[in-house]
Amino acid sequence: MTERTLPRFVPKRSASVSPEALIRLLVLLAGVALLVVGLLFPLVTMLIKSLQDRAGDFIGLANFIRYFQTPALVNSIANSLSVALMATVTVVSLAFICAYGITRTCMPGKRLFRMLAILPILAPSLLPAISLVYLFGNQGFLRDVLAGHSIYGPIGIVMGMSFWIFPHALMLLTTALTNSDARLYEAAEALGTPKWRTFLTITLPGVRYGLISCLFVVFTLAITDFGVPKIIGGQFSVLATDVYRQVVGQQNFQMGAVVSVILLLPAVLSFIVDRWIQRRQVAQLSARAVPWQPTPSPLRDWSFALLCYAVAGIILLVIGTAVYASMIQFWPYNLSFTLQHYTFQGLGGGGWGAWFNSLKLAFSVALIGTLVIFFNAWLIEKSEGYRPLRQGLHFMAMLPMAVPGMVLGLAYIFFFNQAGNPLNWLYGTMAILVLNTLVHFYTVCHLTSVTALKQLDPEFEAVGASLKVPFWTTFSRVTLPVSLPAVLDISVYLFVNAMTTVSAVVFLYNSDTRLASVAVLHLDEAGYFASAAAMAVLIFLTSLVVKLLHTALTHVLLNNAQRWRLAG
Amino acid sequence: MHTTMTSLLAADSPTVMTPTTPHLRIEAVTKQFGSFTALDNISLTINEGEFVCFLGPSGCGKTTLLRTIAGLARQTSGTLIQRGNDISTQPTQARDFGIVFQSYALFPNLTVFNNVAYGLRNRRVDRARITARVTELLALVNLSGSEQKYPAALSGGQQQRVALARALATEPGLLLLDEPLSALDARVRGHLRSQIKALQARLGVTTIMVTHDQEEALTMADRIVVMNHGVIEQVGTPAEIYHQPASAFVASFIGTMNFLDVTVNSATQVQLAATPFTCQPHCLPVGEVARLAVRPEVVALTRQAGMLAGEVTDIEFLGAFQRVTLRLLGTDQTLLADVPSRDSSELNLRLGQTLGINIPADAACLYPAGSNPL
Repeated sequence: MTERTLPRFVPKRSASVSPEALIRLLVLLAGVALLVVGLLFPLVTMLIKSLQDRAGDFIGLANFIRYFQTPALVNSIANSLSVALMATVTVVSLAFICAYGITRTCMPGKRLFRMLAILPILAPSLLPAISLVYLFGNQGFLRDVLAGHSIYGPIGIVMGMSFWIFPHALMLLTTALTNSDARLYEAAEALGTPKWRTFLTITLPGVRYGLISCLFVVFTLAITDFGVPKIIGGQFSVLATDVYRQVVGQQNFQMGAVVSVILLLPAVLSFIVDRWIQRRQVAQLSARAVPWQPTPSPLRDWSFALLCYAVAGIILLVIGTAVYASMIQFWPYNLSFTLQHYTFQGLGGGGWGAWFNSLKLAFSVALIGTLVIFFNAWLIEKSEGYRPLRQGLHFMAMLPMAVPGMVLGLAYIFFFNQAGNPLNWLYGTMAILVLNTLVHFYTVCHLTSVTALKQLDPEFEAVGASLKVPFWTTFSRVTLPVSLPAVLDISVYLFVNAMTTVSAVVFLYNSDTRLASVAVLHLDEAGYFASAAAMAVLIFLTSLVVKLLHTALTHVLLNNAQRWRLAG
Repeated sequence: MHTTMTSLLAADSPTVMTPTTPHLRIEAVTKQFGSFTALDNISLTINEGEFVCFLGPSGCGKTTLLRTIAGLARQTSGTLIQRGNDISTQPTQARDFGIVFQSYALFPNLTVFNNVAYGLRNRRVDRARITARVTELLALVNLSGSEQKYPAALSGGQQQRVALARALATEPGLLLLDEPLSALDARVRGHLRSQIKALQARLGVTTIMVTHDQEEALTMADRIVVMNHGVIEQVGTPAEIYHQPASAFVASFIGTMNFLDVTVNSATQVQLAATPFTCQPHCLPVGEVARLAVRPEVVALTRQAGMLAGEVTDIEFLGAFQRVTLRLLGTDQTLLADVPSRDSSELNLRLGQTLGINIPADAACLYPAGSNPL
């Protein structure tokens, strides 16, 4: 029967390097090249710049010596450390309580709270800063709460940072607290252990890695943040704003590079600690653990509910203030409703054009970034051979987490704006913004991809190869569809971050490629506070709509996929 | 179902070649992972149409050898020749085989039909022919009517058969099975064992199966390759492996085996405690300490204490027979003997009883003392 009708497999002679293996190698090299050009070369160029004078001659550590002899600059180190530490303590303690409420109590309205708590991620970090000025500034309606202290400075910075970092901490701690083993709690109860001792001996040790990891992530986000201190810092300078001031204000690129190197240190340190912790965490929870289920306890449940909703209330207040400020004539003198701040006419900053550019950037990064990052993760996880290349790619994929946006942006100037760089044409284009944003947010997407790929059967590729199906067919027909939820998560993460980020791109736009987040900064600098608020709200709403679309799409796709995910 | 099978048989039988034509020659294959040697100079020939089992404990290198044949692992040195072609450096895609993994690795988002058709789609075969082929294959593995189901809706045994159909769809010259039954429960396993064996015999496809289950290997294989620590301990038919184990390792790995410490008296005689005992000719030096291997089922117990006697210390009821543990008189060695149920009443078995022991000379093998069973 089939003997005559089906083309039989004919083994090729001496096919030691198949075209497929060659294609695989080329794609792998392309992935490596992307991160070498988009990350390694710029960083190395920046490190070299910090050791050169204006003329480009090597002067050793002279720039660093000058830095440490300038009190105005050195003070920023202590400033950055103190606000970052305060923000870390505030955020992690609040987030821990809320995460505990979500995972370990029967408090009502968990789902609603989680939705509200995620909102700050959708806004640029400039938004809370603007709202705080309206709330606590010289003419703010809650000014008296500060009892004479100024919001412009460490207080405002800590509050603003706490607002937009909170969702990150909450997600990390919720995950950590979800991984519980009911058997331990049952054993403790059977032994008559008091609740507080159970908490100290079981709950805390169980989440210690998650907690430490969360502390470092929050600290890094706080110390590298640029948006909040830029808007509300006043005379209180921190490292991130120093980079901006040295480069944009004083055109002192060498000193900008020095500050960047110093800003890189705490981020690299916390990156190393975090990787070290992740490695130890692997065997924490055995596969036989039974998840712990909370039982109702009205006093505890309602206490946590009140706390959580107080936090959610603050989040809504901050966002609501920005929305309100963008829709009234002139605070605090004329409170009548208007949409004129949304016209952005004659104010500079780019107006709706900037918003459109941001949209273009966000869609490009989401589309290109998702494909590139997921495919690279697939090459690292699921292909054979070229081990050093794959390990190198993995290392470079982990690195962006340790590079603050300001540092990456400045490094791009140094590298791409060099005379004689064949990639010089990229400078000032939308393409460089896409590349920069893609690299800036690479690591989280990479980790999400790797986690998703690790859950797949390791033999899919081998089966495909044994059936003589090229690897790209198996990738597109099986791997990609099965990993679709993770892929969608990555794309929406990239979209929202591209929409809201300001730190790296503030160095890289030109008049044709102004971005909405940069426009917020410029409108605020120029004193058009209501328009700045309007632009920030616009960014927030755009992210919100995309996030809602993503949720709906994921829901539909998962529903369809249920056909094969659960027994049909 | 049956008619399909016969029509397949008729069409395929001309391709079955005489069993002595070599299909795959493995020559001096060595595989190293860093300083660890997973395969140590393996040479083996597998004939056309043969069903060969790689058997051994976990970590013995059997799966590595299978993956090397598939091109999924690259040998450090050595040559692989399939039907006269040197495939040593060929990538997986260029080699002619189908494979079924322990996990089946069925594509969860594709239907049974699309899973089986996966390899056919790539060959520019028209739809009608693909449909016909898939229908035929599903009939062959007894899964007609499941075309539109997803793998998650199937039982483990059914998934296993879909994986088998998918591997056979492109008519590979060689079928590789990597512990295909170990994820199934005992009853399904027994049933599938005979089904796979029958299918293989009918299609005549050269098959290599990796397993750690000796029963599986003994019942299915034409030849068994027993492996340990990256080397081949013995190659032979199931009967050869069972009755003439080439080493103490093989003797202890397959079935149950008594090992008794003895001293060599001559080329055909050993001394077991105070008793001289005739055994098969061997070439161990006289006076040497050695190990005598005896299967429990060849040990005969009698009521008259003969030259060799033992005291019953334990009786285990195993249904068709009883396994009796005896302490050999005059030594501290123990011996297991399987007594068929109908003989046990005759013996009137009870604890503490002393019984005579008879071991036929041709049923005992002798191994050097240093050799390690398991």
